[in-house]
Amino acid sequence: MDEHRAVLSMLNETWFGAELAAETQARLASLASMLDFEAGTEILREGDETTEMGIVISGRLALRMLVPGRGMVTILSVEPGDIFGWSVLTAPYRASSTVVATEAGRAIVLAGPALRAALRADHALAASLYPRMLQAVGRRLTATRMQLLDLFAR
Amino acid sequence: MVTSSLGTQWFLARSDLDSLVQALRADDRRVIGPTLADGAIVYDEITTAGELPAGWTDEQAPGRYRVRPSGDDHVFDYTVGPTSWKRFTFPPLLPITVADREGFTFAQPVPEIPPLAFLGVRACEVAALGIQDQVFLGGPFTDEDYRTRRGGALVVAVQCTRANATCFCSSMGTGPEVHGGHDLLLTEVAEGFVVEAGSARGSAVLERLPARQATHAEMGAAVDGVDACRSQMGEPLPMVGIQERLLAQLDHPRWAEVAERCLECGNCTMSCPTCFCTATVERSDLDGTRSTSERIWDSCFDAGFARVAGGDFRSRSRDRYRQWLTHKFGTWWRQFGSSGCVGCGRCITWCPVEIDVREELAAIAPPLPPAPEPVHVRPAAAAPGAYSVARVEAVHFETADTATLSLTELDPALLAGRPGQFAMVTLPAFSAVPISISRFRPDGIDLTIRAVGPTTTALVNLNHGARIGIRGPLGTSWPIEQAYGRHAVVVAGGVGLPPLRGLVDQLLAERSRFSSVMLFYGARTPADLLFADELKALGERDDISVALTVDRAGPEWPGRVGVVTTLFDQVSCDCARMTAFVVGPERMMQATIQTLIGRGVARDRIFVSMERHMECGIGLCGHCQMGRFFICKDGPVFRLTEIGDTFNREGI
Repeated sequence: MDEHRAVLSMLNETWFGAELAAETQARLASLASMLDFEAGTEILREGDETTEMGIVISGRLALRMLVPGRGMVTILSVEPGDIFGWSVLTAPYRASSTVVATEAGRAIVLAGPALRAALRADHALAASLYPRMLQAVGRRLTATRMQLLDLFAR
Repeated sequence: MVTSSLGTQWFLARSDLDSLVQALRADDRRVIGPTLADGAIVYDEITTAGELPAGWTDEQAPGRYRVRPSGDDHVFDYTVGPTSWKRFTFPPLLPITVADREGFTFAQPVPEIPPLAFLGVRACEVAALGIQDQVFLGGPFTDEDYRTRRGGALVVAVQCTRANATCFCSSMGTGPEVHGGHDLLLTEVAEGFVVEAGSARGSAVLERLPARQATHAEMGAAVDGVDACRSQMGEPLPMVGIQERLLAQLDHPRWAEVAERCLECGNCTMSCPTCFCTATVERSDLDGTRSTSERIWDSCFDAGFARVAGGDFRSRSRDRYRQWLTHKFGTWWRQFGSSGCVGCGRCITWCPVEIDVREELAAIAPPLPPAPEPVHVRPAAAAPGAYSVARVEAVHFETADTATLSLTELDPALLAGRPGQFAMVTLPAFSAVPISISRFRPDGIDLTIRAVGPTTTALVNLNHGARIGIRGPLGTSWPIEQAYGRHAVVVAGGVGLPPLRGLVDQLLAERSRFSSVMLFYGARTPADLLFADELKALGERDDISVALTVDRAGPEWPGRVGVVTTLFDQVSCDCARMTAFVVGPERMMQATIQTLIGRGVARDRIFVSMERHMECGIGLCGHCQMGRFFICKDGPVFRLTEIGDTFNREGI
């Protein structure tokens, strides 16, 4: 029960979790576990099944894609408050990038099958969580567009 | 014999007109007057009255100009031709700097300027001379070359007694009567001219003419002639509030329609008697030891007029047409306190595709209530050719193509500059470029320069001990006091960091005045981060929080990857008490501003630095105009609320 409260409190400090309904927060906390990671830990690999989604509490994760000839290119870093592994919610449940920790830290993680089952069973939970997920993914889309503009090229 | 003639009207017989030409020439003046050449009535040097276009008249319409015999012996029976008097007061080509590489000197040439007399200046043209006086003599900067040419010129005005279809001086309030600004005033009547002096200089000439007092009939005929001219122009156009009306229509579809017709030939700006935009071109000896910067007439219709290293701010024809029309009839008011148009109609006559500004104004700018004008402080100004020489003390490469030059042996004025200001920097035989001052030290300044063109490439390749020509400080500075007692956040993108580096120095020097100081910086890749060592050192301090991000990186980069706006996710302070200073590409600043406003930062506490093509640095060459503002003197630093709807708008 202490861990449940600790997760709830951490969730409440992230921009992703803070504005979710109290029932949603509680439900997510009951499904969650904590993940501690060291710098260099690979959490997800591009193309593999996405086993979990996570909300970063501390540290930093890099989202990387392999470009043959250029090696691994970091396209985004995930900071405290932001999420990774959103592909856990949409078929075919494959990671769109490799997630590697660049700074040690912690994340709240939600296992894919359990989360999907909970969302199927509880429409109120789904109605609360999905807009937030869409916002998180939409922010990332907008940011990626800005990167695509390559504004700092001459 | 004529004596003490101010205010009295005299009569000079047409057969005695040569006495006026000779009286003007007697003081060693060159007389410039109308003469028939190449099928047009142009202004050129004349030596006798016989060269004046007696017996000729002109017919003008949009895109059409013809001369034909008038059937009588009147001398001034035409209106205005393709030339204007600015050719003689504001030469199309003027050397402004002679640079010598051996002695490393930048000298301002002083040309010999003979005194002139202008014979046949129409009311609209007297007004145009007055407008150019305001441009070159009325502001913080005085153009000495213009002052000499203009001050030496005696103006013999002629009131029009007929109008062409392109004339609209009565709409612009400049004619057909001449309202001052002349030395002598002529109005042509049946047998000669009613003559009046407008100055002591004019009286002195008049006293040497075989004139007699004019009769009431002659004076009445003169008034009737001018009245006839006025009635030929018809009802005046509704010009009240045209400046606000135009500026409220920046998105009007007509801009694109007129641009479909416009050939961008620049005839309108070249023939306009008030257009004054210039460019500077470099001419060099073959061995490069001596080079001359020449100021030439330029046109805002020129394809490269608003080009900078990263692109073109007015790439489309519609942008350039809008720039010209909104400046001439709109933003000119704020710049010089009047309209820039005198209603001479040259831009209509000489437009090859018959674009008529009167029609465009009527279509684009319907009546609208006036808006208040913002208050602005003008910085001090220096002549565009006046470079001082500074020495390069050190060169430090920040990235592969960007170097910081530390300068010393500087003009003290530069040391007194403030963060945010810039300098025009040159080398002999290279065009001057605007460079923001990236640091102020007690005995020098830093310039951080990215090699993107010939001058910037030459600058970054200079060695310790090299000399450069420099003019400044120019433009506005960061209003640091707007962050006193508040959270100060500095947001930079790409090469936008140099103009903010001095601000960060200043924020840290006065650190106790701010609740917190934050620096957010985004670059393209880790290799593109400027001032990397300094940023690392700043990152270790506890009185400033530094956050860096790059758009993409390899696996060796442990830092953040993502756009600069994502850095605000980590900000926990009260954003209502935040003052932001933002520099980067306009689209990046726009995204940053949206994020800041979304977080609750007040719009009037957001300051940005704008980039435009700059040449003169004193708001006179015209290149850097952005709506109501000239970036080089009203900016580059602006309060967001001040620039309003011109920010992040295409083609302004």
